[in-house]
Amino acid sequence: MSGASPVLAVAHGVAMVGLDACPVRVECATGTGLPGLRLVGLPDAALRESVERVRSAIERQGLRWPGGHRVVVNLAPADLPKAGSGFDLPIALALLAATGQVPPSALDRFWAVGELGLDGSVRAVPGVLPVAAGARDAGAQGLLVADAAAPEAALVARLEVTGVADLREVVGVLNGRMTRRSGVPAPTLPSAVTHDLAEVRGQAVARRAVEVAAAGGHHLLLAGPPGCGKTMLARRLHGLLPPLSTDDALEVAAIRSLAGERRPDEPLSHTPPLREPHHTVSAAGLVGGGSGIPRPGELALAHRGLLLLDELLETPRPILDALRQPLERGEVVLTRARRQVRYPCEVLMVAATNPCPCGYLGSPARACRCRPDRVERYRSRLSGPLLDRLDLHVELRAVERDRLAGPPDGEATEVVARRVAAARDLAAARWGDGRLNRDAPVAGLRATTRDRVARTLASAVDQLGLSARAFDRALRVARTLADLAGEERIGGDHVDEAVAYRLSDLAVTP
Amino acid sequence: MTAALHGALDRVAADGTDPAALAGVLGWVLRPRRTAAALRRRAADGANPSAVGMGPAAQLRVLAGDPPAEVHAALVDLAQRWQRLGVQVALVGDPAYPPRLAQGWPDVDAPAFLAWRGRLPVDPPTVAIVGARQASGYGTGVAAWLAEAVADAGVGVVSGGALGIDAAAHEAALDGVSGTTVVLGCGHEVAYPRPHARPGGLFERVLEAGGGLVSELLPWQPAAPAHVRARNRVVAGLADAVVVVEGGARSGALVTANAAADRGIPVLAVPGDVRAPGSVAPHRLLGEGAAPCVEPSDVLAVVRGGTSVPVPPAEPNPTPAGPLPADVAAVLAAAWPRPVRLDDLAVRTGRSVGTVLAATTRARVVGVLAEGPDGVRLRRAP
Repeated sequence: MSGASPVLAVAHGVAMVGLDACPVRVECATGTGLPGLRLVGLPDAALRESVERVRSAIERQGLRWPGGHRVVVNLAPADLPKAGSGFDLPIALALLAATGQVPPSALDRFWAVGELGLDGSVRAVPGVLPVAAGARDAGAQGLLVADAAAPEAALVARLEVTGVADLREVVGVLNGRMTRRSGVPAPTLPSAVTHDLAEVRGQAVARRAVEVAAAGGHHLLLAGPPGCGKTMLARRLHGLLPPLSTDDALEVAAIRSLAGERRPDEPLSHTPPLREPHHTVSAAGLVGGGSGIPRPGELALAHRGLLLLDELLETPRPILDALRQPLERGEVVLTRARRQVRYPCEVLMVAATNPCPCGYLGSPARACRCRPDRVERYRSRLSGPLLDRLDLHVELRAVERDRLAGPPDGEATEVVARRVAAARDLAAARWGDGRLNRDAPVAGLRATTRDRVARTLASAVDQLGLSARAFDRALRVARTLADLAGEERIGGDHVDEAVAYRLSDLAVTP
Repeated sequence: MTAALHGALDRVAADGTDPAALAGVLGWVLRPRRTAAALRRRAADGANPSAVGMGPAAQLRVLAGDPPAEVHAALVDLAQRWQRLGVQVALVGDPAYPPRLAQGWPDVDAPAFLAWRGRLPVDPPTVAIVGARQASGYGTGVAAWLAEAVADAGVGVVSGGALGIDAAAHEAALDGVSGTTVVLGCGHEVAYPRPHARPGGLFERVLEAGGGLVSELLPWQPAAPAHVRARNRVVAGLADAVVVVEGGARSGALVTANAAADRGIPVLAVPGDVRAPGSVAPHRLLGEGAAPCVEPSDVLAVVRGGTSVPVPPAEPNPTPAGPLPADVAAVLAAAWPRPVRLDDLAVRTGRSVGTVLAATTRARVVGVLAEGPDGVRLRRAP
């Protein structure tokens, strides 16, 4: 028996745990023993099959397979579970380095991610963008990726992204025999307004609420009969959100890439995401989940954008309850036996609901067919903790036909968006970190309020029978109203208006 | 009758109600196989000749006799449950039992006993204001207007405590001198309708304002449709006039109106929008000869006997609009008692939504504005 084999070659890859990138050393040692290849270091099923792909790829490309030796490939750190086929390329590189076909020193600079075909072609894997960012942060100078994935990986700054077609090209590039083809970053797509607020007729209160929601990041509840424009308004709210910064756009793209929703050659969009999960969505679909490393759900996919939950009251209560903590913390924490995965989810939530089970309560067009006690039970599902997290409540009514046919009677998105951006800037300057009034510290809010105004708010909350939590929520909304007006201190008018956006518990009775 | 049973019942019996008689009637009610036929047989036996010709409720009182031993425990439990809620009980014919419910109308279906919290409307003239649960803003506005005006004039308001019109009437009458009376469609332990029964809800405020909650049912009996319909006759029986504000073709308000008509209690109806579904009941009543009610004096005239009594212009509210800006108040006053949607308020005054919302909130806080599903309206007549 020989002693411990010396490590012969090391290639570098990246494993993703949620959005967190962990550098992985792919170590390859050859030694005496029965010929064969062993892959160790917690590979999952797809990764274990990697051996077959790598062997076929190396042989078909006319490269040398380390035959006649016992070969061990270790993925370190060994206790980190690794998933997916993206390690095919680093494993192949480690083997090629161990057999002297590529210079080992080149592998310190060039990290790699990609799946291998049996013919030796290099294929793209989902999640290249966060892998590339992770590689750069862990010290890589360059990254070898499939041609198809190069535009996405090249979005990451200060990283030499090289697109490769097959293993032969990889070997040529690393030996300096072939010219490196640098990845060309995908074009960026400026934020585009598709739905204009000017198209909305009537609904003056709802339009104002939409503006306030966009300016302060306040979660919004729209209640009204079918066809009164809830979804329409929600889409316009999306148009009011300021475009994403490049960093934010990359973060959003990284989550989409992880979820496998992003084509690698897709332009980098600066439009905030808009997610509209159907009301039959499962808890895992909403907050994320799945076997192995949990995948991002709709909440994370709506990060820095808008989550529109239509038919809120048709969604089962446990699923709605699962929203509460992530909304409060701005991140989803998914804890599994081996791992804890965090996904950011700073979302603006817009919930839409019918006023009653049949939807026509209060509609002038159709009579409601619900028994009043059923309406009351239906609405009571809204009450409590969930309602408390929705800062703005608006009851919509259908717009009369003559106003629908009439001329536009409201401001355009462009005009409102300017006010929204100005208010957001004020809030960001006050709280730092680009924070919104939704997430502002309570003490800070109180500091910008006169005592007299706070007392007015307290008495209004008391008189109108609102919950104690409504005080805090209304103060946040009032802060945004003051910001929209460009005022440093929260005034009486601001708190009074803020209270008007709270649905009282007894909305059924006069 | 054991001392324990006597003591328990004595604690819930109203002034002038005999615990022994109470035990007899309630014992009969609690009996597993009590039937009207069994009671008739007892009457026919001639055990008590005075029972012949009486209505069933009065007969029960005379014929029930001592409760059998097997219901003693249930009776004690019943009395304790009532006592925990502060309920008083009286039998038909007792001094505390409202005489107009027992006499003056055929004694066929007066409740055998009444259980109430708070105060019963015994002497003051009383008006029943009833209507649909699914009320429009116009309906609740009119109900509140009528209720407040008659309450200010010293007339009690009785209704069914339901959502919608009933609630608007009770709410508006809270501050009146006579208080307001809710006739429940369920027992006292049942929280129905829930928004009114919860702490701080309408029922609690009715009691605080010196009004009463009445039920003809055992404390645990639910708000079954039959119970709710039956309570409408009690609403009518406690009133000197019945005003129907809004209701559909099958509204319980029609039951109340029919019960009143049967007993010769005047029925008034508030005309509504001819095409609104909630106008069916009042318009049908108007067609059948009910008096139109277009202002509070119409009701007061009927209650006070024939002559039209103008509502005392007492305390013409100097500031019905409170802190509202003049133009906003003018729009609301013009629409009153119809509510105005906040969107429209902003459009018609040309003000920004923000200022309208702030102003209406202030007005709601000081109580000059009422908010409903159809918008806001002035609480008091402009």
